[in-house]
Amino acid sequence: MASERQIAANRRNARKSTGPRSTAGKKRAGRNAYRHGLSVSMSSNAAFAKELDRLVREIAGDTKNAIVLERARAVAEAELDLARVRRAKVALIERASAFGELDPPRPSRVTAFQLLRVLKAIVRNPGEPIADGVTFSEPIGSLATMPSQEPYRSAEAVRRVLPELRKLNRYERRAAMRRDRAVRDLWVEQK
Amino acid sequence: MPRINELALLPKLPLLITESADEFDALSHAFEREIKPRGIIEQMYVHDISSIVWEILRLRRCKVVIINSAFRGALQNLLKKLLRQPGQYEYEVEDEAEALAQTWFTDQEAKKQVSEILTRFDLDESAIEAEAIRRSSADLELLDRMLTSLESRRNKALGCVAEYRASLAHQLRESADRFVDGKGVLRLEDAASKRSTAA
Repeated sequence: MASERQIAANRRNARKSTGPRSTAGKKRAGRNAYRHGLSVSMSSNAAFAKELDRLVREIAGDTKNAIVLERARAVAEAELDLARVRRAKVALIERASAFGELDPPRPSRVTAFQLLRVLKAIVRNPGEPIADGVTFSEPIGSLATMPSQEPYRSAEAVRRVLPELRKLNRYERRAAMRRDRAVRDLWVEQK
Repeated sequence: MPRINELALLPKLPLLITESADEFDALSHAFEREIKPRGIIEQMYVHDISSIVWEILRLRRCKVVIINSAFRGALQNLLKKLLRQPGQYEYEVEDEAEALAQTWFTDQEAKKQVSEILTRFDLDESAIEAEAIRRSSADLELLDRMLTSLESRRNKALGCVAEYRASLAHQLRESADRFVDGKGVLRLEDAASKRSTAA
């Protein structure tokens, strides 16, 4: 168990940990929870709002009941969220199929092995230019290892984005649950 | 041919460039014929079911292709272990294993040779498949989890259609009963008595 002195020191130290102080740090920390951006509400987007309104009207019918309209809006929002996540899934697979990976290739780094070769060259020929006889091979690009024929290319693209697809699947499941709950609420209200 | 959704309000399912829109429409229409959705909510669920089933088919296809793609590496790996004589290192038989694994797909002679090597150890071609599955097990596990989740969502969506339909039927039955019991309409005698009171 921590002593009184340790507890006091912990408290003193904790008071120093008040998060980022610079504007850049605060901005960066503000995006800590950012994952895929699918949880952001799209109702502020004009085209989405129009699509949403039309769907709400279709679900609610010609009712003037504000609660029914609200429930119908929840159903429509969840349904459009589902469509959004499905679009994102397909876009990810297409991107991996086109570029071989999701993130842009990193600048090539010198591996320990390559560095060892340079050091050996220096030891062998001290005073000689290092580049003589020492070449750094470019790493094999992700696109180069993509199969060129279907269905192998699509399957490889899916394989490469499997962790991301799984995360989107979880989001999709939650959107579907939200929609089902909203539909149930709507039945209750319409009874 | 443009893809037409019966209810244009529902967003269309985006497909991969390599997928056939006609095939998806055929699948979707098959579900519509089977479930016969009435109203936008049921239509929504049918659309959901078609989309989930389409994705299940996509992932199942991937699963098969991932195993098939791992075949060459699997065969090479297996041959390296089987060709190695006691006291020999794996790298000493690497070239032979690679050459055999490469020609196994196209050359009957190589196929026969591999078969003989496998038989020597009481194995057959299923050992290659097993090794291919073992090598891609991490990906297959992820795919399986996604498939399980999708299958459970498909079943849930089917359940939701049934539940919604039952609730709607119950609602219609209740309002029909109200009319039959005369609670929803004005009774003739009531109307007549009201008229006589007024007079």
